[in-house]
Amino acid sequence: MTPHKHLLHLAFAGLLGLAAVSPLHAAATAEQRQAALLASSCANCHGTDGKLAGSIPAIAGRPASVLESQLLSFKRGEMPHATVMDRLARGYTDEELAILARYFANINR
Amino acid sequence: MTTEQNKHLVSRRNLLKGAGAASLLPLLSACGATAISNGTAGRVVVVGGGFGGATAAKYIKRGNPAIDVTLVEPSKTFYTCPFSNLVLAGERSMDTISHNYRELEQVYGVRVIHALAEDVDPVAHTLRLSTGRTLQYDRLVLSPGIDFRWNAIEGYDQQAAELAPHAWKAGPQTLLLRRQLEAMEDGGVYIMAAPANPFRCPPGPYERASMIAHYFSQHKPRSKVLILDAKDNFSKQGLFTSAWKEVYGDRIEWVSLSNDGRVVQVDAARREVVTEFGTRHKASVLNVIPPQKAGFIAERAGVTNESGWVPVNPRTFESERVKDIYVVGDATVAAPMPKSGFAANAQGKVAAAAIVASLEGTDTADPFWANTCYSLISPDYGISVAGVYRLNDESRIIETPGSGGVSPAGAAASFRRNEAAYAVGWYNAISQDTWGTRL
Repeated sequence: MTPHKHLLHLAFAGLLGLAAVSPLHAAATAEQRQAALLASSCANCHGTDGKLAGSIPAIAGRPASVLESQLLSFKRGEMPHATVMDRLARGYTDEELAILARYFANINR
Repeated sequence: MTTEQNKHLVSRRNLLKGAGAASLLPLLSACGATAISNGTAGRVVVVGGGFGGATAAKYIKRGNPAIDVTLVEPSKTFYTCPFSNLVLAGERSMDTISHNYRELEQVYGVRVIHALAEDVDPVAHTLRLSTGRTLQYDRLVLSPGIDFRWNAIEGYDQQAAELAPHAWKAGPQTLLLRRQLEAMEDGGVYIMAAPANPFRCPPGPYERASMIAHYFSQHKPRSKVLILDAKDNFSKQGLFTSAWKEVYGDRIEWVSLSNDGRVVQVDAARREVVTEFGTRHKASVLNVIPPQKAGFIAERAGVTNESGWVPVNPRTFESERVKDIYVVGDATVAAPMPKSGFAANAQGKVAAAAIVASLEGTDTADPFWANTCYSLISPDYGISVAGVYRLNDESRIIETPGSGGVSPAGAAASFRRNEAAYAVGWYNAISQDTWGTRL
């Protein structure tokens, strides 16, 4: 599968300053909005902006490197006690998982 | 247009349009600045305050707070279908599946009008409410959920549903079915008529059968559950059937379409059903989940097709048939995504992003959706199905190859316990994300 155009831009954009995307404002860039839409389904289990902690952990504000390596471990089936995140992580390219990790890392808890 | 109409909703631009004065159109750009300084970056009306509609309203405001968003929903309290099976089992109260619109109003600035949407004029861009009021829109979002095809099963109409509840929209019907189950004598048979595809919440009937079997096992141990099904296979079937045997022995019996499971006639007063080949079944409690279609406002708006559901542009969830009307949730044709609350929420976000972009004149981001549907076999035994969706090169929705799927067969009890705990976590999170309510 070929990565979509905005995501490609985003993958090369490196460490974008995404702190202002929560909530998104009118001046958000196309790349920020693309990342937000990619990340938006995560809220259904992790709460809006990934901030809700319960039986499912909050993901906002954790280091991008930690989130990325966890997502990649889920994807590769290397995460002990995985139930559903392995099945979900396999639905994204490594680049997309990196974008998700950076997106949530840049949200203040 | 009525005098009652909110001043906010009548911009100068639309008065001009209403006058039909094509020669005035070049003046519109001059009015644009006025409109923005009035805080109107566009007017969006959202119909339906469930998972799809409430999410769309919130995420449009998050995308651009200057967009004027009005949510039209008859009820002040919304009861979710998810977890209503736990109410049927006596494991939860209605309070714990109820949500309201206070956060949308107070935190996000969504205007909420409690009325029924009665008609749409897609040319004039107006929505008529049961109060007589008419709302103008630049973009309309319909999240109408489902309506039932009354009398598609002979004898099953709205009156019959007061005797043999469907309980497939949560609220008074949930309580009615719960009271009937409580009043049932031990040794009785609960019969569920399950519909053919497509219908709201594909694993829902089988979770319901599980939760009622759980209630029986605790309180009415000689009672049985009989599912008469209009299809030959169902969501998470392998997991359900092996869990039923493991947890409930032979308490739950499932009769497939091929084994004469399809109910064609209902006598609600006698609690009897007749199947396709003439078998008569008598229930102690009868639960008929009838065939469905998109909620009626979708028909009024002209967005449904011959199937009764709503085809949409998968990139934006704008209707394929009517411009500027976006439709999300169970009413849509969005396969392979299921008709679930999770999918409705995800679709609401895609539509919100597309609407914000279209009102601002920017490019629409590429859509992504995910879905996870938990089902409870018992309060500490959960199973799930998950999916990640995107557009392929032909702009069709596909499940990302190699991803998703159901919980593993033969997993340890601890795995099932974890998924039951995550089901509760999911419910709390999606409720917070959709309505902002925390339980």
